[in-house]
Amino acid sequence: MKIAVLYGTETGNAAMLADDIKSALDGDHDVACADLAAIDPAGLDGQDFHVIVCSTYGDGDVPASAKPFMTKLEALAPKLSHVRFAIFGLGDSEYAETFAHGSMKLAEALVAREAVQVGTRLTHNATADELPEDIALPWIRAILADLEDAV
Amino acid sequence: MRGKVAIVGAGPAGCFVAQSLLKDAPALEIALIDCLPTPYGLIRYGVAPDHQGTKAITRQFSRIFERQGARFFGNVHIGRDLSLDMLRDAYDAVVLAAGLSQDRRLGIAGDDLPGVYGAGSLIRSLQSHPFADPLPALGPNPLIVGNGNVAIDLLRLLSKSPRELAGSDLGAEATAWLAGNGFRSITVLGRSPGAKAKFDPLMIRELANLSRVRISLTDPGQADGDDEQKRIDALAGIDGIGSGPIEVKFCFSRVPLSVEGADHVTGLRVASPQGEKIIEASSIVTAVGFASNGELGASETDGAAGKPGSRLYSAGWFGHGPKGAIPDARLSAQTIAAQVLGELAADNRRIGSAIFENLPDVVDYAGWQRIEAAELLGRNDERCRAKLQSIDAMLQAARSNHAGSGEAGL
Ligand SMILES: Cc1cc2nc3c(=O)[nH]c(=O)nc-3n(C[C@H](O)[C@H](O)[C@@H](O)COP(=O)(O)OP(=O)(O)OC[C@H]3O[C@@H](n4cnc5c(N)ncnc54)[C@H](O)[C@@H]3O)c2cc1C
Ligand SMILES: Cc1cc2nc3c(=O)[nH]c(=O)nc-3n(C[C@H](O)[C@H](O)[C@H](O)COP(=O)(O)O)c2cc1C
Repeated sequence: MKIAVLYGTETGNAAMLADDIKSALDGDHDVACADLAAIDPAGLDGQDFHVIVCSTYGDGDVPASAKPFMTKLEALAPKLSHVRFAIFGLGDSEYAETFAHGSMKLAEALVAREAVQVGTRLTHNATADELPEDIALPWIRAILADLEDAV
Repeated sequence: MRGKVAIVGAGPAGCFVAQSLLKDAPALEIALIDCLPTPYGLIRYGVAPDHQGTKAITRQFSRIFERQGARFFGNVHIGRDLSLDMLRDAYDAVVLAAGLSQDRRLGIAGDDLPGVYGAGSLIRSLQSHPFADPLPALGPNPLIVGNGNVAIDLLRLLSKSPRELAGSDLGAEATAWLAGNGFRSITVLGRSPGAKAKFDPLMIRELANLSRVRISLTDPGQADGDDEQKRIDALAGIDGIGSGPIEVKFCFSRVPLSVEGADHVTGLRVASPQGEKIIEASSIVTAVGFASNGELGASETDGAAGKPGSRLYSAGWFGHGPKGAIPDARLSAQTIAAQVLGELAADNRRIGSAIFENLPDVVDYAGWQRIEAAELLGRNDERCRAKLQSIDAMLQAARSNHAGSGEAGL
């Protein structure tokens, strides 16, 4: 499968997890990894399966590197019915009211443009002991296995 | 690309520069040097002990050593154990990322009276930094000058109940000190109106969760634009809340004129919209920025760093002053790394890490892992780690064959 791992980050945790996902999938798939800052939503490729990793800042907002993507998504409203994605959120339960809202808002904005979300959005809590990769790698493997079964 | 790069300071700025350099040039020989036996600078000793989620960024930094091949040289003080010139001779490029450890002074009469403390210094004491002063007696009514995130961090910590510190890594001594303080009021004072204060609105909203405070605001001012409105909204959200024993007073638009008191602080004279006033205080904590301790003698201002041909660069707070948070350090590190790589000319005659060979008690990454393992042994329901404070205790742990760390002895 062709997979594009995209991340939205401020302090780099999402970038590191995106790297981990790329490394874990590299042998079996054709994987590229990029910062959402470098991605135009209108240019998303229907041949790719998109795996998005995104943290949360401010008022439950997307992080700085995902902001231009989010703004274009809302302003230009491209039709994305050809785009399939799975999304993983990073957050911190210290911010209880807005826990992992960045990834939630990004997923909602994509779905509002008719992109198809695959699997459920899973989250990692920075205050917990668990490592993000320990949650995210089984999650993405299960999603990809389901996709391949469906083919 | 080959070559040897030394980075002075293993705080976030230095770590992000190493991360970026090795991402683009994995074969570089990189030394991250710190005067402490422990890496990570202000992540360990600045970021608040009750913000462990933010400190979790060290998981990224550990990979610089564990996977990307950088080496840690801890307990090496550049300017004392080795001169900067020696380091520049040994490496193809040197990046100064030594931070700014000195508290800026108020610069008004009386700012050196007993009872005036710097926030950076107080936070080092609270966070068990090996070079910290003993925790001071702040008295019943401390006053914090400054309206940045550091001032708010300090206010929050000073106000927290023992229960609210569960899960943090606040040390035993600081915990006992906090419990024994008996503050009646804490004033936070700033020059600008609240709308123009420097703190993040999120930091203000977090204060609403504190159980022991009752909060009031004076002269928050009017918002001009969205960002200011967010700040005003956050402030309005905490005005008048709480019924705890500590009265927290935010006083905006107050310009400090002089510290009052004969042989100890008794208050602060300020210019306010209502004229000159004296605000009584049992101590003053200044959170008005940071400055260099002058040790390396080569800050951005003297011009050597960043000059073509000097093979010397600067990063983080040391390079551009005490502004910007961790995300800014990450972004600017990418620019600096690109500049270093663009100019790097490897010279095989430079001896690189051999320069550390004859120094006593250098702590390598495995040594730091043993220190960390020893600290994690002290974890319990209340605390997520028990920091070792003295250099001696750290060196002892670094040398021990502790079974706690899987990597020990490697
Ligand atoms: C109290 C406080 C709390 C903060 N909290 C946050 C927060 O919650 N979130 C956030 O985003 N930002 C926070 N910041 C800001 C953040 O710390 C800065 O943005 C950070 O990037 C500065 O990092 P630095 O690497 O430049 O300096 P430092 O982290 O200070 O690193 C400098 C390192 O150099 C070492 N060193 C110094 N001199 C020498 C020498 N001569 N030889 C060898 N080594 C030397 C020091 O030991 C230290 O480890 C906080 C800052 C402070 C002061
Ligand atoms: C200033 C600040 C604000 C944050 N706000 C939120 C928030 O509102 N909700 C949340 O779930 N996490 C919040 N977080 C936690 C981050 O999303 C979390 O630390 C994440 O791992 C950061 O990932 P990144 O390094 O990829 O940016 C915040 C962190 C900081 C430092």
